[in-house]
Amino acid sequence: MNLFTSSIIMTLLMLTMPIILTSASTHKNKSYPQYVKTTVSYAFMISTIPMVMFLYSGQEVIISNWHWMTIQTLKLTLSFKLDYFSVIFMPVALFVTWSIMEFSIWYMHTDLNINHFFKYLLMFLITMMILVTANNLLQLFIGWEGVGIMSFLLIGWWYGRADANTAALQAVLYNRIGDVGFIMAMAWFLLNTNAWDFQQIFAIEHENLNIPLAGLLLAATGKSAQFGLHPWLPSAMEGPTPVSALLHSSTMVVAGVFLLIRFYPLMEHNKTIQTATLCLGAMTTLFTAACALTQNDIKKIIAFSTSSQLGLMIVTIGINQPHLAFLHICTHAFFKAMLFMCSGSIIHSLNDEQDIRKMGGLFKALPLTTTALIIGVLALTGMPFLTGFYSKDLIIETANTSYTNAWALLTTLVATSMTAAYSTRIVFFVLLGQPRFNPVIIINENNPLLINSIKRLLLGSIFAGYLIFHNITPTTIPQMTMPCYLKMMALAVTMLGFILALELNSTTQTLKLDYPQNPFKFSIQLGYFPIIIHRLLPMMSLSMSQKMASMLLDMTWLENVLPKSISYFQMKSSITVSNQKGLIKLYFLSFMITLILSFFVLNFHE
Amino acid sequence: MPVVYVNIFLAFIVSLVGLLIYRSHLMSSLLCLEGMMLSLFVMLTVTVLNNHFTLANMAPIILLVFAACEAALGLSLLVMVSNTYGTDYVQNLNLLQC
Repeated sequence: MNLFTSSIIMTLLMLTMPIILTSASTHKNKSYPQYVKTTVSYAFMISTIPMVMFLYSGQEVIISNWHWMTIQTLKLTLSFKLDYFSVIFMPVALFVTWSIMEFSIWYMHTDLNINHFFKYLLMFLITMMILVTANNLLQLFIGWEGVGIMSFLLIGWWYGRADANTAALQAVLYNRIGDVGFIMAMAWFLLNTNAWDFQQIFAIEHENLNIPLAGLLLAATGKSAQFGLHPWLPSAMEGPTPVSALLHSSTMVVAGVFLLIRFYPLMEHNKTIQTATLCLGAMTTLFTAACALTQNDIKKIIAFSTSSQLGLMIVTIGINQPHLAFLHICTHAFFKAMLFMCSGSIIHSLNDEQDIRKMGGLFKALPLTTTALIIGVLALTGMPFLTGFYSKDLIIETANTSYTNAWALLTTLVATSMTAAYSTRIVFFVLLGQPRFNPVIIINENNPLLINSIKRLLLGSIFAGYLIFHNITPTTIPQMTMPCYLKMMALAVTMLGFILALELNSTTQTLKLDYPQNPFKFSIQLGYFPIIIHRLLPMMSLSMSQKMASMLLDMTWLENVLPKSISYFQMKSSITVSNQKGLIKLYFLSFMITLILSFFVLNFHE
Repeated sequence: MPVVYVNIFLAFIVSLVGLLIYRSHLMSSLLCLEGMMLSLFVMLTVTVLNNHFTLANMAPIILLVFAACEAALGLSLLVMVSNTYGTDYVQNLNLLQC
């Protein structure tokens, strides 16, 4: 027991060391990035001790350290819950972060503020660890907000670029909308269960949990970019590639899913929220996979792929399989981070070119990156016995054989085939064919930092699924028997996506120019969702305020009602009434003739 | 009736005819208007002085004041027309537009 708790405390404290030592100005040192990287690697190695202890003896620990304050009847403490989820997620997250930090030493090498960047990455990692190991809702909320803030700071890392600032602001705003749901859930739990500790919440039998669970679902929608609050994730690709790899593929965006997984004892018995979760996840995965089919920026395609996989995780929670969703979180971290790192290697080698229409023929030029990209793509689509297979195939099988919403199931299958389609598109445009980039660049991936980090995640992508799956305690009994066509469904749908995409991509080499049709326009403009939501609402409120303030009050009441209306009315009526034509001489002549005639008539009448 | 009234009355008629019949310049009708006012002034003064109509001694001066006002008004209209068209030809006024 002592080894468990002391390892965890040492892991968490070690991570905070480089931040605390800021006062000793180690952060101005030139080798601060290496220091941070080795700190994270040591933290990873130490955190594998509790994981192994848990896997082989089933020991769960709750560390309750410090009583902060008691607000009337609510006791706020600093406590860490180290159960199945956090003890397995911590080593995985630390491993991925270690590789990403090594990669970003290479990627951000020419940046003058690289020490600052590493400090931000480390602060993000600490808040993510706080989120994952929290035992009460307050600590989770601290971690939740912390990852949101660090995401904002890291997305806007190149703050001189207006698009980056917009994207960072977008991330914060969408996360805030989700936070409303989180706070609502916290308030409900405070009012009805008088505690924010998980043990007490799970021990009480509640009658109707719709409100807090809906609040938690909203929070997950905001943080994990589900449909309705999703545009921030593709926009967040404005940040540097290590940020995309760490935050927006493996760790931060799974925080929403992690929250729902934490609350699985409450969600087990609530069919309404499960159905809502299922439909939301199915909608997300289909929509974002459809949007990924026509994007031209390699990072945006991978971002939409992340969003689609997050939708798949939410679907898994919706069919009441939280442990499978957690398994998918862990396996997804490996290959998604690796995909982002490969794209970073490609972007850096091609001199900051991110458009796949300007890449090509990298198959022979970047061998290790090519290998890693293809293996990552295969793992993503669920190639048998790679990492993704163990979680994704199980999810599809369980969804196929469970008593669930048929529409959600169908959309999930369609989204799975679309996954294969856009992955083929990436491979086809980036790696195959003739080069379409500038000839005068130096393509070099010969740096040990890059090679080692990609190799590590490559080994993880191939073996981690097997290792994790065969060592964890079985929690829910997987469905062992099912008809053959259902068993083959995931594989068949994926192969269909592959073949279709390959055919389409090959035939595009020989087509004439065609103007985009409506489904294409729908896909490439992200379903018109960002355009409508980001522009329509502000435009309506601003134009309404302009009309009310300046046009209604100033122009109408003060200007138009009496003065201008009088002059306008007079003019219009005089135009209507007058029928003169301005023949003045004629009028004067007739006047004179009248005078003379009257003179004669009145004088010589007799 | 003294003959002088006939003379002044004739002057008035001549000015009136000149006001109503003119060729092209608006200025000439304004001048004839002044002529009308002048003859009226003289007639009024002669009448008041000959008949010792003491209470009406102010009348010619008031007439003069009003004549001056209307002359100013007429001139301002002439200047406005002349500003728009450059000349004061009366055939320019055939287009009424509000």
